Amino acid sequence: MARLSPLEASERRLGYLMLAPAVILLLVTALYPIAALIRESFSHNVLTEPWMAKPWVGLDNFAKAMGDPRFWEASANTLLYVIVTVPGAVAMGLGLALLANQPFRIKWPVRLGLLLPWALPLVFAGLIFRWFFEFQQGLVNNALLFVGLSPVNWLTRETPAFIAICIAIIWKTSSFAALVLLAGLQTIPKSLYEAAEVDGASKWRQFLEITLPMLMPAIFVALIFRTITAIQTFDIPKAMTDGGPGKSNETLAMYIHSTTIDALDFGYGSTLAVLMFVLSAVLTSFYLRHTRRDPSGGRH
Amino acid sequence: MTAYANQEKADQRPFSPKEETMITRKHLLAGFTATILLGVSSAAMAQTTLRIFTGGQQRPDVMRKIADEYERRTPGIKVEVEVGGATSEQQQQYLNTVMASKDSALDVVLIDVIRPAQYAATGWAETLDSYLGAERDAVMARYLPAYREANIVGGKVIALPYFADAQFLYYRKDLLEKHGLQPPKTWDELKAGAEKVMKAEGNPNLSGFQTAGAPIEGTVCTYLVPMWGAGGGLTDAQGKLALGAEAAKRPFQLWADLRAANVTPSNLAEIPTDRIRQNFQAGNLIFGMTWGYVWNRAQGDPDSLVKDKVGVVPLPGFSANAAATCIGGWQVMVSAFSKNKAEAYKFVRYLSSPEVAKAQAIAASHLPVFAEVYTDPDVLKANPWFKDALPVVQTARSRPVTPAYPRVSEVIRTNMNAFLAGSKTADAALADMNRDLSPIFR
Repeated sequence: MARLSPLEASERRLGYLMLAPAVILLLVTALYPIAALIRESFSHNVLTEPWMAKPWVGLDNFAKAMGDPRFWEASANTLLYVIVTVPGAVAMGLGLALLANQPFRIKWPVRLGLLLPWALPLVFAGLIFRWFFEFQQGLVNNALLFVGLSPVNWLTRETPAFIAICIAIIWKTSSFAALVLLAGLQTIPKSLYEAAEVDGASKWRQFLEITLPMLMPAIFVALIFRTITAIQTFDIPKAMTDGGPGKSNETLAMYIHSTTIDALDFGYGSTLAVLMFVLSAVLTSFYLRHTRRDPSGGRH
Repeated sequence: MTAYANQEKADQRPFSPKEETMITRKHLLAGFTATILLGVSSAAMAQTTLRIFTGGQQRPDVMRKIADEYERRTPGIKVEVEVGGATSEQQQQYLNTVMASKDSALDVVLIDVIRPAQYAATGWAETLDSYLGAERDAVMARYLPAYREANIVGGKVIALPYFADAQFLYYRKDLLEKHGLQPPKTWDELKAGAEKVMKAEGNPNLSGFQTAGAPIEGTVCTYLVPMWGAGGGLTDAQGKLALGAEAAKRPFQLWADLRAANVTPSNLAEIPTDRIRQNFQAGNLIFGMTWGYVWNRAQGDPDSLVKDKVGVVPLPGFSANAAATCIGGWQVMVSAFSKNKAEAYKFVRYLSSPEVAKAQAIAASHLPVFAEVYTDPDVLKANPWFKDALPVVQTARSRPVTPAYPRVSEVIRTNMNAFLAGSKTADAALADMNRDLSPIFR
């Protein structure tokens, strides 16, 4: 490597200096906590057992997780939420985005309708939907009674509770997907539709042949973001049923919360968090591999 | 004086003559502002602000009034009341994050009777022995024995009792009288009475009996009370898990029986403690198994539809006079991370005094932790049922005492909840309780 001139060297120093705040911030707020979490996952650290100190226990916590039925149930539940709510939210978001992309004269009511669920704190959404689905006071059962059906114990039966939670999650998260997709829709040149119109293509055909393929990059972005947040599903099931009935709808994030915050078992809780990180990495790597192979985002 | 000094300092600075007047004025203003700020902060220094944490269901309004009185009597002390979640475990989740991070924001914390063991083990409570000094044994001797014992862990005073509690049977006096019934002494009587009233009233919103069924702390007692009533215990004399006994199955049989008779509603599994009170107050409940605070709300709330129609008696048993109940109650603790421990301790002593116990009993029907307050004429005037409440509180049983209590509670309440929801059979719930509790009670 050639020797740098004094000017170049000082420029480089300045460059590093200017990068330093960002690097330090990243180290302190992201890398250090992650490193601490991983270290913790190899230790026994229960705050209510201070006499045990915090011994290094190697892979004991990981072995415990592998034999822990609650870990597997919570992981399976989390996957179920991913499988149902990720496509659900993106499909719903696509519908909303297409609606919002219509040439309405007054655009703001639709846009506001799109933004509101997104702006609402998750736990609020959970509490609102819990009230909707309550047995006696709930709107949903009222509606069922109104049309002559019998009320359903939404929140105290396993499958109805799962359905109710999924509906709440999809409602809450589809608006983010819609915003991403709406941005994508607006980049599609109008000329393509005009040309299709001239060729006599139907609206449905235009959607399949122009809108969907052109929208693929945006759909992928929406899928990735939604998947990452779906793996972390916590607030809505926590507020609606606390994972109930029993623990039948508990997610991995809820199990981590219960282990660390309720039982004060920071060691095992960290292990579960590391395992959730692994699950997250595995799932998102599918998307990443796809986008790397096909940077245009799947235009066939 | 400070303003003058600042001005002088400003004048000494080497400004160009042209700007001098302007800048001096600016500095005068700055100096003036600084003086005000200094004045305010020095006033604040002379005053100590104590921050107390209480739960949304432990009548923060009454706590505020008690704090106002304390502020009036103790110049230089200001009390801020921070209000937390509605259920015991929600409050504890928040407190766990505050205390685990050694945050000094809270000086005094209201904790559930089941928690002192955890606070002792984690070292989050300032032990009060040295503050109590020579008075220690005399002070502790005044409390009801159950509360004295609950707050001393490993020989150390962890907290002082704020108010006592136990579960009672609330009933609709008017409905029982109308249908010629006496308050039930056994679960069978309760079931028959509820069925009779429900049938005669024909009101689809009227529920026969409710107890906590949601996955919350109160649901632990929904399991333990009938088990104790059947002569069982969660652990044996050696502290080993004793869920193999026949008594361990009785709660499941009892609640299944009441459900089959339609005495309990199909959504019992989504009912938390305070919903029982709401349903009772709305006139939609004949019998409720719940805590002392409900009396004051049902009698005093402007929207209560059952004012003067409320009766309170000890819980029924499987046979007459063989009832059990869960002990409850709340303690005041000084945080180990508080920066005002001495002042916090004095406030805790006040909160845990017979005077405050009496005030709470009248304002909130909180059961006193001192035997003599139960017979106070003013207290009895506000709560006639207190005359029979003392023996109930004295014989109420404790949930298991262990630092691992959060896990114990979670196992019991989620299995009970799953059973009440119909998503687990009694056998499966009991087997899972055995599997998950045995590592804790070895």
